[in-house]
Amino acid sequence: MKLDPRTKLVMVFSLSTLAVFVVDTLLLSIVLIISIIVSNFFKEDWGFLNRARKFILLLVGIAFLQSIFSPSGEILFGIKDFTLLTTGGLAKGIRVILRMLVIIISATIMKGSSPREIIQGLIQWKVPYEIAFMVSLAIRFIPILGQEAKDAFTAIQLRGIEIDKLSLTKRFKVYSYMFMPVLSGVIHRAKELSTSLEARAFRAYPERTSYIKLELSKNDLLIMSASIVFTITMLVIYILLR
Amino acid sequence: MSQPIRAKNLSFSYSKDGKKIIDNINLQVNKGEILAVVGLSGSGKTTLCYCLSGIIPHLYNGELSGEVYINDQFIKEMNMPQIATKVGVVFQNPETQIFFPMVENELAFGPENLCIKREQIGKRIEEALSLLDMEDKRYDKTEHLSGGQKQLIALASVLTLKPEILIFDEVMAQIDQKGKQAIKDIIIQLKKEGKTVIMVEHNLDNIEIADRKLVLKNGGLKKFEGSLQ
Repeated sequence: MKLDPRTKLVMVFSLSTLAVFVVDTLLLSIVLIISIIVSNFFKEDWGFLNRARKFILLLVGIAFLQSIFSPSGEILFGIKDFTLLTTGGLAKGIRVILRMLVIIISATIMKGSSPREIIQGLIQWKVPYEIAFMVSLAIRFIPILGQEAKDAFTAIQLRGIEIDKLSLTKRFKVYSYMFMPVLSGVIHRAKELSTSLEARAFRAYPERTSYIKLELSKNDLLIMSASIVFTITMLVIYILLR
Repeated sequence: MSQPIRAKNLSFSYSKDGKKIIDNINLQVNKGEILAVVGLSGSGKTTLCYCLSGIIPHLYNGELSGEVYINDQFIKEMNMPQIATKVGVVFQNPETQIFFPMVENELAFGPENLCIKREQIGKRIEEALSLLDMEDKRYDKTEHLSGGQKQLIALASVLTLKPEILIFDEVMAQIDQKGKQAIKDIIIQLKKEGKTVIMVEHNLDNIEIADRKLVLKNGGLKKFEGSLQ
């Protein structure tokens, strides 16, 4: 089923809102399961989880730190007088992981829509075109900038510096050498980009026409309403359970 | 013969006391002509392109003197959207000229900015892709295109603005032999359609299609006589 990007945005917004406001492990788990089901419905390929494994490890690390610094309940693990893991801390850590997973997985719902469609959806919601376009442009250029940083890093290594064998302080110093070429590359690219935009009559007039046009179908309206009702219901259940 | 683009006593330096990159240039380009401007790296070719396309003084600052006329209209008195419909510029790096992941969206961007009606935009996209023989790429993702194809899409997206003058700033610098030939064929086709083309190049192999060749050296333009030195 082809859905309007605005419907998908409402779904993502609903799930993310629940992830932020709900502080109950069971309800968060339910929201996560729903996010997975919805994302699966849009035939999302889960390969991104493999690519994001470092980020997921970071999440686990953050959750662990959270559990150390906010101990409550029974002590599960500790070294002498220093408490490392408590039941309350562990629950908080798990909630952090669940919350982040809901946000990441729900965001994948948007993957099937092209950036142009998303921009159009936002414009039809009266978001200024410049803002919607700039956000989409920034997202498009993130991988290119990542590549630029990688190239600078490789260039440093090719000059005979073995990063892995350096101490942490020296390693930071090497990273600082990368900063200037990457920054100047970014500024140069931004300048080229803005020149190309102006040469193609960007912001020629206060208004602009649009080649693509989005129209909400009955299914869109139904799913949008269901998402909003579901979010409100979950929030009410959460408040009543507190 | 009409001269859609003219420069009179044109000089430019990026700062007040800086070296003149362009020094008292006089240039007339005839309608339907392919003019090649060659020069070594750092000779000011891109700066000349910027001056002729209004990017200088409208977007980049510096010390500009002299005049540039587009169809007898003083370029300083025109704004960038007005210039964009008269002069199309294709730059060296296709990566910074493509803003959308799909070819069709990319080609629609310029006409949308000019408030062209939807039906007309569709027609312009069709025409541009048909000229480049790339109709089958309309719904392709731009990231899946080769360097040469990306450059052609950058050109197509400029063509949808229907400019009568086209400036190519070392467009063949980053592409393979096949891509270069495709671009040269298109330039010849554009000439046949009455477009005026200025191609700025440092590679002499790319300028054999030009009707007139000039060399930019020490800020001045001279007739090209086979060597850049």
